[in-house]
Amino acid sequence: MPNAILDPTGGSKEAPASAALAPRRGGLAGATVGLLVNTKQNADIFLQEVGRLLVDGYGAASVLARTKVAFAQPAPDALLKELTTECDVVITGIGDCGSCSASAVADGVALEGRGIPAAVICSDAFRGSADAIARLHGAPGYRYATTPHPVAVLTPGQVRERAQAVLPDVVALITAPGGPA
Amino acid sequence: MTGSGELDPDLAQRAIEYCYQQGWSDGLPLVPVSQPLLEEFLAQTARDPNEVIGSLEAVGRDCTVRLAALNAALAGCRPEYFPVVLAAFEAVMAERAARGGGWQSTSGPAPLIVVNGPVRGELGFNAGGGAFGPGFRANATVARSVGLIVRNVFGVVPQVLEQATQGVLGRWSICLAENEEESPWEPLSAGAGLPEGASAVSATLTRTCEFVDNRHSQDAEQVLWDFADTISRTGALIFKDTSCGVVFCPEHAQLLAAAGFTKAAAADWLIEHCGRSGADLHRAGKDGLSENNVRFAAGPPRDGEAFSRILPSRQHVPIVVAGARNAAISMVVRVFGLWSGTPVAVETRPAARGVTAGLAAGGGDGRR
Repeated sequence: MPNAILDPTGGSKEAPASAALAPRRGGLAGATVGLLVNTKQNADIFLQEVGRLLVDGYGAASVLARTKVAFAQPAPDALLKELTTECDVVITGIGDCGSCSASAVADGVALEGRGIPAAVICSDAFRGSADAIARLHGAPGYRYATTPHPVAVLTPGQVRERAQAVLPDVVALITAPGGPA
Repeated sequence: MTGSGELDPDLAQRAIEYCYQQGWSDGLPLVPVSQPLLEEFLAQTARDPNEVIGSLEAVGRDCTVRLAALNAALAGCRPEYFPVVLAAFEAVMAERAARGGGWQSTSGPAPLIVVNGPVRGELGFNAGGGAFGPGFRANATVARSVGLIVRNVFGVVPQVLEQATQGVLGRWSICLAENEEESPWEPLSAGAGLPEGASAVSATLTRTCEFVDNRHSQDAEQVLWDFADTISRTGALIFKDTSCGVVFCPEHAQLLAAAGFTKAAAADWLIEHCGRSGADLHRAGKDGLSENNVRFAAGPPRDGEAFSRILPSRQHVPIVVAGARNAAISMVVRVFGLWSGTPVAVETRPAARGVTAGLAAGGGDGRR
């Protein structure tokens, strides 16, 4: 028998498909909406506008905004803990680069695992990265909302239009059992 | 010496094709690795094969000594290069940019690896002509090893977790040996407290390298102004500050040294003179600064003539000397993030040393 050719990868990188979504609450009336802002250009304006629209149009009670300083990394445990303690649902983004699209989805999966419905918003240019990290975290097919690329160059007015446009998908993600239709 | 008549190209080709089919390749053929070859690599280090030598938190993956050895063999390294691969990987993973999303970045940065000390000659690293490659097995395969570890061990694959928009020419192939013999200055590894005569590897990530061809002036300041123009181009400015190294050819380095410039003085000159006016920055839509020091198009210029410097400290201007002494052509190197400048000592197992000693490094005569 010849020698075997050795595998340089160290084995499978994907967790078994085990991650569960948090139970949905059916509506947003009285809910505290967490915003996990990843500091990418325009992310703050985008998420603040989504939060405002959820309060004005969907009966959410209030908004709690927090910033993730290291946008390339999954959110620190303490930050996730604060959001899950203080909020009923969390919106996170904008996944607008290679590493931050992946880490935003990782945060979404982590929040779901802690029982909090999450809506991740990514630029539509980063679906490949977002889907791959979901598989890595045992959540193949994890659903997130997308907004057309680019985001960083938009004016504040254009960003708010984008927030308005993605709102139905965001609402569906955090309220409907199966996510957006 | 085994004649080529005893080797079986058909079997070799099948093994190479198998490696392609597994998705392990960066596009070029790989060396299929067997257990005996892996053992040869692991015998070059005293470290435990199961020791974790680098992690990518974002994907939850660790690289062990064993997996690094496997990928170094896959990349075409000789076993005796393995201690240099270990040092190079440790050096690059010590950089915040590499741990913090660099491998996944749209900018697709390339590792820039610099080898100092006697290991250059012992293993045949080229420090002379064609220092950026290709053509030299040690330089090419050590750099490629890092790329294969990122691909295979961390699972960062192009168009999936790796999101490079266009990528960078030379990604996974830039491993310079410093031309210490023809440099007028202390080597990059100096000042880090390493023992005299130690070999070391330093590494960072680079977004690109740009040549400066100045065979036109013997005036040190004129030559430095030529560098300042390339360093100061607006296309490379994203944040308030930037980091930009220079790999000087021996001729430029010697010209500057003859005019009294130490390495630190050359860096200080560039810190003082590199930058752009407010009007230039406005013209390119990069005149505004956000709270995070990200540039943006701020609108009508307010102080059009004000000059913004872009290199805040000597750490932002690393300087290396490499290449042949046959022309005054140097390379500006765009650092991705900030280079910590920390060299990692090359640790060879004593019994494994010295087999290939005697090869010359530097002087434009990089042999192997």
